[in-house]
Amino acid sequence: MSYCVNCGVELEASLRECPLCHTPVINPIQLNREFPPSPYPSKKGQVEVVKRKDLGILLSVVLSATSITCFLLNLLVFDASLWSLVVIGCCICLFVFTFPAIFYSKTPIYLSLLADGVSVAVYLFLISFLTSSNRWFWQLGLPIVILLTLCAECFPLLSKFFPLTILSCALCIFVEIPAFCVSLELLIKHILERPYRITWSAVVLTVCVIIDFALITILAKKRLRNEVRRRLHF
Amino acid sequence: MANRLRSTRTPKPSRSKKDVWYKLDLSAIVYPTLQRSDFSSVYRLSVVLKDAIDPVLLQKALEQTLPRFPTYKVAIRKGLFWRYLEPNNRPGPYVMEDIKNPCMPMPFKGNNRYLIRVYYYDSRIALEAHHCLGDGTGGMCLLQTLTASYLGLLGHPIKPEGFVLDTSSTPDPEELEDAYMRYANAQVCPPRPAEKTYRVRGTKEPFYTLNIIDGILSVKEVMAVAKQYDASITEYLNAVLLYALLQKQSSDFHLRLRPVRIAMPVNLRRFFPSKTLRNFITMVYPSIDPRLGEYEFKEIVEHIHHYMRYYINDKFLRGDITTNAATQRNPLIRVVPLFIKDFVVRTFYTKVQDKNSSAGLTNMGALHVPKDMKPYIERFDIYMGQPFSSRTNCAIISFEDILTINFASSIMEADVERFFFRKLVQDGIHVKIESNRNIEPASLREPG
Repeated sequence: MSYCVNCGVELEASLRECPLCHTPVINPIQLNREFPPSPYPSKKGQVEVVKRKDLGILLSVVLSATSITCFLLNLLVFDASLWSLVVIGCCICLFVFTFPAIFYSKTPIYLSLLADGVSVAVYLFLISFLTSSNRWFWQLGLPIVILLTLCAECFPLLSKFFPLTILSCALCIFVEIPAFCVSLELLIKHILERPYRITWSAVVLTVCVIIDFALITILAKKRLRNEVRRRLHF
Repeated sequence: MANRLRSTRTPKPSRSKKDVWYKLDLSAIVYPTLQRSDFSSVYRLSVVLKDAIDPVLLQKALEQTLPRFPTYKVAIRKGLFWRYLEPNNRPGPYVMEDIKNPCMPMPFKGNNRYLIRVYYYDSRIALEAHHCLGDGTGGMCLLQTLTASYLGLLGHPIKPEGFVLDTSSTPDPEELEDAYMRYANAQVCPPRPAEKTYRVRGTKEPFYTLNIIDGILSVKEVMAVAKQYDASITEYLNAVLLYALLQKQSSDFHLRLRPVRIAMPVNLRRFFPSKTLRNFITMVYPSIDPRLGEYEFKEIVEHIHHYMRYYINDKFLRGDITTNAATQRNPLIRVVPLFIKDFVVRTFYTKVQDKNSSAGLTNMGALHVPKDMKPYIERFDIYMGQPFSSRTNCAIISFEDILTINFASSIMEADVERFFFRKLVQDGIHVKIESNRNIEPASLREPG
């Protein structure tokens, strides 16, 4: 029979320390005594994953029906342009975006983000059939989609190495914003065949660098970090 | 074991009872609205027997017992304006080996749509039920009847009495009624308290974790101490919890003090006769405002004693039920689509109702079991389940001379529990602590 020297409560025989104050249970006569098993189970339960089969079937049917009927309408009735490609691309995007939530929730996050990026790229590619030239797609549309996909992939990648807090998320966002803006400006300059010089994105870059330094300082100093957490908790 | 249990599966029954359905009672309307992927209003009742449980017999006992409780053998469905319960004839529910993290979320479409779970572990039978089915009294009826059926299968027949119902009888219509509506007839709707209270802040545990600390006490000892303060056991333990919360607030960083308030369910069956097995409780909110001055413990007990005597009577409780029922009876509210109601109720609960109390405390009181059943029972436990926000919930139950105080929280810190049990020890009560907390030997932990 062990008692907590701090709290004065009797502790159940399997407890190695007081659950109230964390004072270890030490019996000076039996320093290496065996602790009996806990009266609580050790197996952890998992919430059952509910299959959204009905919603999945409904969504697949609606999206395929929309794509097929629009394609036939385009082919047989309103055949002046390939407008049905916009609808079909939209349906593909919707299907890919909802796939992890409805069909298979265990899809790896990297793969689902990559699939999202690919579906948007396919959508833009389909739209390019409606325009006179597809240069905008290869030189602007596709690189922007790749950039955005890379930015999105950074979040789960960083969460593997750092705890995902509001501050670390903010830091990640303020690193990605200038990187994206600079790349975007350079891509625009490239398509307009102008010299590669950053102008407006330099302003964004400067502001974000200042914010980044502030965030890194806060993250590095525990005292500052706690102060910010205390004042900004919600 | 799972295969062994599943071999008892019954064939899919006919849908002859398709026309039977139940409206959610007045309290039950709120609970499904608060359902999130990481939160369900699930409570747990458990009984510790003297011998290890045989899961096959327990499954048989469950199959015998559940049809006697039609409002527990249901699935929840969405209508256009309200949710409702419909009989669930799917296979199950199946008894499962107990887990470390009880009261985990209960998805409505999981578990073959059953809203109850039955666990066994060593000599313990635990029942977890979604609060939209019924309150602790209804759950206790199911648990005791299940235990009696189980003991019956073991060759110890139990005569139905009190909480133990006869499984061969048909349910009394009164057991299935929404008793609130029968008694919500006061001529005035008293306002609800709506002041922001002190909220326990702590480090949130990872998803699914429910930290449990059980205190096991002697009823006689607690009663003797409560008597010294001229209070009942509930009043005394309420005062101890308020005292612990006051201490916690003063030890926390705070810019200003806030009132400390406990949300305490009151069993309305004590005041309004009803056999209902569904929800029939209302909340009272005993509180202490430290902004008025420093309270001695004795003053807190006196305050709670008078509060309870003043508010817990049929007149005030009837007024409270009427206030709650007024919203549901309002024709303009009734015609609002369910998704809008959900949004409004969830917002109201998160912004107002949840901030209205610092902790929850329920006392099921002294449990009575049939005379034949007594020798097989060690003790009962009750858990209020996962709190909606980061706070701690306390549930009390007693059987014979064993009084069990069960704290359940989803935060790492156990400050409130520590202040609570230390006060009991200071008052000379012997407390034995059990816990499911992840406690590693000190030598294995990192320093600092």
